[in-house]
Amino acid sequence: MTSPTQKVMIVPCSGIGKAYGTVSREAAYAVTEDLRPTKTRLVPLALLVLGDEDSRTDIASYPVITIDGCKLACAAKMVRQSGGTVVQEFAVLDGYRRHKDLKPQGIAELNEGGQKLACVLAEEVAVVVDGIMSRNHGGENA
Amino acid sequence: MPDLPGKKVGIVSCSGEELPEGTVTRLAALMLLEQLRPADTVTICLPLFLAGGEGDRAFARFYPTIAIDGCDKRCAARGTEMYSGQPAASIIVSDLVASHGLDKLEGSRHLNEAGHLAVEATAAEAAGLVDELLHKHWNRTAGAVEENLAFEAQEPIQATCSCGSGVPVQEVYINGEAVTLIALPTIFQQFHDSGKPASEKTTRELIETVKVYNPISPDQENAYAETLARDYAAFCAQQETLK
Repeated sequence: MTSPTQKVMIVPCSGIGKAYGTVSREAAYAVTEDLRPTKTRLVPLALLVLGDEDSRTDIASYPVITIDGCKLACAAKMVRQSGGTVVQEFAVLDGYRRHKDLKPQGIAELNEGGQKLACVLAEEVAVVVDGIMSRNHGGENA
Repeated sequence: MPDLPGKKVGIVSCSGEELPEGTVTRLAALMLLEQLRPADTVTICLPLFLAGGEGDRAFARFYPTIAIDGCDKRCAARGTEMYSGQPAASIIVSDLVASHGLDKLEGSRHLNEAGHLAVEATAAEAAGLVDELLHKHWNRTAGAVEENLAFEAQEPIQATCSCGSGVPVQEVYINGEAVTLIALPTIFQQFHDSGKPASEKTTRELIETVKVYNPISPDQENAYAETLARDYAAFCAQQETLK
C-alpha cells in the first residue's frame, strides 16, 4: 500500500449455527455503522467466496480486520485466499475467554451477554482501526 | 446400509451482511432449522466450502441442498455449485419480495416490518421445498433427486451447523491417485461392527455400499475393490489392536 489508507475493511464470518457467529456480525455492524462509519467498510464473506472482483480489489487495496466466530477462522482464511492482508484477526471465542461474564447465547437474537461481548469486541476493533489510520495519516484521528 | 446422516436437506444461505435481503436469508434459514423443519435440515456456513476440509466440501453432494440467496448475484447457489455440488433447489429473496408484493426491505442490521414478512415468506417457501425434497430420494452418486419418504411434525430445537464435522470422508489411493471417498470411515466402522471379515465377499459388499455415496465407473471397479480390500483389512487389524 503506497497511498494513505482511506478505509479499513471489516470482514466478519458468516457464522449461522453458533451464537459466536452472530457476535462477530454484530461487532462488525457496530464498528462500521456506529463507531467508525467513515473509516471502515463491511465486506460480506459470500462475495469473496464467489470471487467478486470489486470485493477482491477492496481487500487487496486496503488493510483488513477480520472477526471470526470460531476457530475455523473462515473470514481470515478467505481474506488471505482472496489476496488480502489481514492486519489483525479477532476471534469471538478469544474475546469470550477474556470476558467470561459475557456468555453469548441465541443466534437469531443475541442475549444481553452476547450483545455486550459484541460491543467490547467492536471497541477493540475500533482501536485497531484508529491505529491503522493514524499510522497512515500522520496521527489524524476522527 | 450404514446409518449415515441422511434423510436431511442441507440449507446454505448467503448471509450477505451488507443487504437487508442477506439478513433475511440468514434469519429465514434459522427459522427453518430451529422451528419449521428442525429434524429435517442441517446447515453449513458458505465460506467453509473453501476454508474447510473435504468433509465440508462434500456437503451438497451428500445432502440435497437448498441455496437461499439475497440477490441475483446468487453467491450461495453459485458458491455451492462451484465448490460442493449442484443445489437441489434455490430461492432468491429479492425475487420473492417482488412476487409477494412486499414493501422495500430496509435495515441489514435491524430489519423493518417488510423484512420480517420476507423472513416468514422465505422460510415458508424453503419449508415447502424441504418437504418436496424429502418426498423424493436423493441419489448421492448422481447428485439428483429420485422419489419418496414421509415426514412428521417436529419439535423446535436450536440450530446447529455442520462446520468442522461435515460428512465423514477418507482419502484412498486408486491406481496411485489420491481419491476422497465420502462416508468411507463410517462404512468401514459399520462393516467391522457387524462382524464382517476382510474377505472377497465383504469387498463386493463394500464396493456396492461405497458406490451409493461415490461415483465409481465400471472400468474402475477392480481398482477400487483392490484398494478397499487392502484398506478394510488394515482397518480391521487396527481395530483388533485397540481391543
